[in-house]
Order: sequence, then C-alpha cells, then structure tokens
Amino acid sequence: MLKKKICLLGSFGVGKTSLVARFVHSMFSDKYHTTVGVKIDKKTFPLNGEEVTLMIWDMAGEEDGAPVKLNQVRDAAGYLLVMDGTRSKTLEVARSIQQRVENEIGNQPFILLVNKVDLRSEWEIPEATWDELRAAGWTILETSAKTGDHVEEAFLGLTTRIIQAGDDDDDDD
Amino acid sequence: MTTTMMTNPGGDAARTLALANLPAALDLAVFEVTGPGFVGHPVGALPAWLGLPAGIPVDLCDQYPMLELFLPGLDVWEGESDVWTETDSTGQDRYLQAVAALSEGRRFLVLKSLPADLHRLQQSDHDVQIQKEKIERLSRELERATQAKSDFLARMSHEIRTPLNAIIGMADVLSATDLTAEQKRCVEVSQRNGVALLELINDILDLAKVESGKVELEQVGLDLRDVIARALEVVELRATRKGLWLRRNIADGVPVHLQGDPNRLRQILINLLGNSIKFTHQGGIEILVEQDPADRTPGRLRFGVRDTGIGIPPEKLDSVFENFTQADTSTTRQYGGTGLGLSISRQLVELMGGRIWVESTVGQGSTFYFTANLVVPEGLPASGPDAVAEQQPVAPPSVTSQPLTGMRILMADDSEDNRFLILSYLKRRGCVIDIAENGAEAVELFRRNSYDAVLMDVEMPVMDGFMATREIRSLEKAENRKATPVLALTAHAFADMAQRGANSGFTETLTKPIRNTTLLEALARYAPAEPQMPPPAQDKILVTIDEDMADVVPGYLDKRRAEVSLYRQALATGDFSAIRNLGHKMKGTGSGYGFEELTALGAALEKAAASQQSEEIAVKLDELTRYLGSVELEYRKA
Repeated sequence: MLKKKICLLGSFGVGKTSLVARFVHSMFSDKYHTTVGVKIDKKTFPLNGEEVTLMIWDMAGEEDGAPVKLNQVRDAAGYLLVMDGTRSKTLEVARSIQQRVENEIGNQPFILLVNKVDLRSEWEIPEATWDELRAAGWTILETSAKTGDHVEEAFLGLTTRIIQAGDDDDDDD
Repeated sequence: MTTTMMTNPGGDAARTLALANLPAALDLAVFEVTGPGFVGHPVGALPAWLGLPAGIPVDLCDQYPMLELFLPGLDVWEGESDVWTETDSTGQDRYLQAVAALSEGRRFLVLKSLPADLHRLQQSDHDVQIQKEKIERLSRELERATQAKSDFLARMSHEIRTPLNAIIGMADVLSATDLTAEQKRCVEVSQRNGVALLELINDILDLAKVESGKVELEQVGLDLRDVIARALEVVELRATRKGLWLRRNIADGVPVHLQGDPNRLRQILINLLGNSIKFTHQGGIEILVEQDPADRTPGRLRFGVRDTGIGIPPEKLDSVFENFTQADTSTTRQYGGTGLGLSISRQLVELMGGRIWVESTVGQGSTFYFTANLVVPEGLPASGPDAVAEQQPVAPPSVTSQPLTGMRILMADDSEDNRFLILSYLKRRGCVIDIAENGAEAVELFRRNSYDAVLMDVEMPVMDGFMATREIRSLEKAENRKATPVLALTAHAFADMAQRGANSGFTETLTKPIRNTTLLEALARYAPAEPQMPPPAQDKILVTIDEDMADVVPGYLDKRRAEVSLYRQALATGDFSAIRNLGHKMKGTGSGYGFEELTALGAALEKAAASQQSEEIAVKLDELTRYLGSVELEYRKA
C-alpha cells in the first residue's frame, strides 16, 4: 500500500478545509471556520489497482505576518495550491507560496485549484493570466467544494502525478 | 508510620487515585515514552475527549501524524510542537500542542488542549479582510462599468455628432441662400431642433463626465472680465432677440487676475445666463461678482446672476438643481431645455469648493448665486488698480463678418460631407483653401506650401490628425519654419481629447458639429498679422534699411510676428519671465536690423514684465502688433 503526504496551501478563506471535507467526508458547510495550525486527515482509496492512503495536511491559510510553515511541507510528496477565484489577491499569495515551497522541497507535483467556481460570475482574473500560468507548466483546475466540481479530480490527479513522478524517479535509479 | 497507616487505612490509596486522575482533571494527556520508537504509555487517567482506551500503550506518531514532524526532530527530549487541530471523540475540533519533558532521565510527552476560542480573534480578522477584499472587488467592478459607460458615451458622442455636424451645418448653409418664406421657416425649424439636440447631447455628456469624476479642474491664469465677457457673448444674441439687456457688475476690490478654470467658470455662467434668459420676458440679466460675504479668504468670490424673470415658487427652490428638474413639469414643454444645466452647474461649483443656491420672488425675478475658490496669484495684489468697480452694459464685438481675405488654409478631412460643409462656410470669405483627404496628404501639402492655418480632422484613414500634426510640427522644426496654427476638428467631446491634441501640437481643438460662426471666429484669431490686402496708405510705417540686409530682415520681422502669440500666451498664464526674456531679446536685436521702435518696445515689455504690470504689457503688445502689421520696408543702396 502506498502512503503519501500532500499539503493544501493558500491564503486564508480560500476553501482548503472545505475541499478536504468534500473529498474525505463528502460534506460541505457554508460557514467559514478558520483552521488553527494544521489539521491532518487521511483517506484511502484504490488507484490503478493499488490502495493509496493520502495523508492530507490542511494547513492554516497564509496571512500577513503568518507565512506558511515550510517545515510542515518538507516531506510532502506534492501539494494543492488553493486560491479563491473571487479574490485576485489570493492568486498572488498562491504564486508566492509556490515559489517558497519549490525553494524548500524542490520540484514536487502540484495543482492550482481555483476554488469557488460556483461564484464564477464574480471572478475578475483575466483569461490571459491563466494562459500565462499554463504556459509556465502549471496545471489548473476550477473547483467548487460547494458543488463538488472537480474536487475528486484534484486529489486523484495530484496523487496520480505523485505516483508518476515516483515511477520516474525509480526509472532514474 | 504503621499507626498512621492503621488509623487512616484509605489515605494512600485515595492519594494515589487522586494523583492518577490529576492529568485528566487538568485536561492533559501524559505519556511516558520508552524504547526506541515513540510508543507512549499513558500515565494516570487520560481525558475522555482523547477517546483512547486507558492503560494501553499508543504509537504516538501513528496516532498523531503531526508528531512525526516533532518527535524525530528533538535533539534532547525537550520542547513544544506546533499547534494542530484534532477532532475529538465528540466530533468537536480541539487545538492541541505537544510538550516533550525529561524528568530524571524518563521521557514524557504531554498533550494539552488549548482554549477553544483560540481561533476567534483570527477568524474575525479574516472575516474583516475578506469583506474588505470584496468591497475592493466591487469597487473595481464599478470602476470598470463606469469606464465602459464613459467609453460608450465618448463613442456615441462621436457617432452622433458627426452626422449632426452635417445636418446643422447644411441647414446653416441653406439658410444663407435665397429662400421663399416657407422654405426659410422649414430651415429655421431644422436649425433650431438640430441645435436643441446638440445641447441635449452636450449636457448629457457633461453630466456623465462630472458624475463619473472625469472632470478635473484646470488651474491656469484667467482674467475675470474676459471670462464674463465671453460668457455674455454666447448668450447675447438670445438676449437681444428677446429685447433683454445684459449687464455685468464687478464689485470694487475684486481681483480680476486670478487662477482657476476659466472654461468651467464660463460654462457655469453660461448655464445660469441661459436659464435666466429663458425665464425672463422683459427687463434683463445682470452678472454680479463680489467677495464672498461669508468668507473673506482672498479669491473666494460670490457670483450672482440676477434676472427680472418669472421667478420660482419657494417650494421648488431646492429641487431646481436636481437632474431633469424644472420648477414646473409643464415648464419643459413651454420653455424647452434639458433641465440638466443647473445640475451640471451645481456639480461644477462643488468641484470649485463652493455652493450654489437661488433666491427668488415669483413675478419679480430670481438671483442664482454661487461661490467658488479661485486663487489670487502671488505677487499680484488681492485688489489693485485693475480692480475698479465696473458697471457697464455689454456689447461684445462680432467677428463673424470679418473677412479672411488672402488667408491660406489647409483643410484635412476624410469626410466629403464635412469638406463640403467647411468649404461652404468659407465661401466668399476670400481665403484660399487646399484640401487633403487624409493626414498623409496634409503633411505632403504642408511640406510644399506655407499656410496661415490648418484645419485638421482627428480621425482619418492612412494617417490620423494626431500623427499628421506631429509630422507638421517636426517639419517646422527641421526647416526652421514658424509655427502654423493647427485647429483640430473632432467629434470627441471628452477632455482627454484636448490633452492628447495638445500633446500632438494642436493649437486649439474645435468640437464638431462646428457652427459657421465658431469656425470663422477661430480662423479670425489666426488671420495673419500683416494684412494680405494693402492697408490704407496712412497706416503704413516706412522703414528704410540697407540693401545688403534685404535677405534677412523680412525673416526677422516674421519671427517677431510669430512671437506675438507667445507673448499673449505668457501673459494669459502669468509667465512674466517668458515675456521678460522675449522683450530682452527684441530690445537687443531690433535696432541692429534697423527697427529702433522694436528695441524700444522690447525694453518697455521687459520692464513691464519685471514689475508684473499686466495692463502695461497688454498695451505694449497692442502697439507691437500694430507696428508689425504696418511696417513696410524700403531698401537703400549700401
């Protein structure tokens, strides 16, 4: 059985905890509840005929004066960068976190989740920005913890890429 | 000891039990960690929320993955972990922290539960931040929507004004031909309604600009008398037709040389004057200017427009400044007008730091007052010799009959209708017109010829008016030619158009649809200083110069003629040092070329500029203009 640690990272209030609740417990609550420290959840599921256990580290959102704790990311096999499509500032936070995490743990797989796609009419980030990020090699998924849109794809997609990356490493060995 | 034990048989057991329960009572879970891994043996009772069976060893890292980061990282068994959130046995979130403690060589791990309201402060801070970002987003959305509205208006303004230009212009042209009485009446209806439509469009655009915060006031030198005279000029015809008198009354002590936005000030006055004329059937209208009685700050003025009209009922006095409001809904039908003029005026007055109000008696008339903060430039007295009380009827000069004889004009416009219209306006005015259908053709014509003025359409194919004017300006510079006035013709009414035009080198911008009189007045301003037709003999000033100077003297005079407008611009903006420099230069060169008079005028201008005597400068400039217009050269053999 494979066991992998992933982290959810991003600004506060973007919906990291809700995404985990949707994926692990198939639940959603509209009420905002800030995460203190980190909350670790576990989910086991089959992937390509193999049992995989994801240790999901739902980390407190970054805010001014309280950056992401990089020591908690250190042994992660990959991460989900989460932003809120209705708050353009959270994209800047996501970009900045990605930079710091890459400096810390190297080129681990990650996916950018643009959350709250159910509020798409309130998004204000221009299409060109997404094109630019995709051109830089980012994988982007539009998710909604509220409706469940692309949530499963996000976690399974990251896991697949982690396993794929692991196989590549094995090939290198 | 034994006795004690005998006399208190349950004592130790009770104490042991109490000690065993102490950690749970303190809401702590205590484990002793033995062996090579991180297996924890519960010490005493564990708090119920932990949901762990009592007395059974636990793999701490397996149970609490957060400890995987903490425990292996300890060099000595001492320290605190990061805080993490754990769902307890009742489903509640608890904020936990682990403390590693060493006691007499034994390793203990204590789990403590932090206060349940730990997140509250953070949460409310986040809530505030998220709300703030939401407000910022909404405000950005609003700004984008406003910008879109503004762009739409600018576009529509252009689209509406261009055909309107042709309609009103053609009606003007038609009205000047031989018509039967009935045809004349038809043309008049067409003209009147065209103008009414134009006013409505202008008002709506203006209001939209003010409301979207797009109006920025200028801060330039202005002559109060000039601002008032030009406002009166605009309404004079309407007043005369109704048999009304117009007067101005500038109180003693009011400075006339000020800084502010002359165009917007004039716009307010025109709105108020137009309004008064509309509702006055006998008598007349007077403009009053005085120091604001409620605020003695220099430059704080109170303007009044007093009429002898029908007056406004008391209950309507406040609402006349609202959009689309006239005192009576039937008024619009009877008197016309958009009902936007006063609303625009109110907003402009507020931009000038003042307020607007009206005092009125039904049947006797109304006085519209407004206050405004204007700036008294440093170095000029708050009141002075230029500030004498004036009360005089006004008869603005009419220039529409002025011929433009011999004036050479280059017109660039891609629209055949517009070209035809302007040619119709200028027909019989005696000017010579070259026509270009785009900017590139205009530049080419300009390269080969010299003109007294250029009429430049802004939007043209191949090369637009901005680019063409920039090319013309660089051509002038490269060939050391004097600056030719370039009058832009644009259907874009927005202020940034004027700014872009100024950057490209437009001398002034005329807004389409352009009326016959506006065009003629504008061109008359740039009619060459030297008369194209021989002036009457008695006006000539004959100057004899050496024949060997014949190549340079006419050029020298041309340069001086071109400089007159520089002097006037500098005077208008209060740039006395520019006037001083120009005067100084002329003083130094005039007699060298044989013009003692220019040396004398240069010295007088330099002196007047040094002491900032605007009136004196104006007088000397008139003398200079007259001299340059009358001077005639006669050559004597060396």
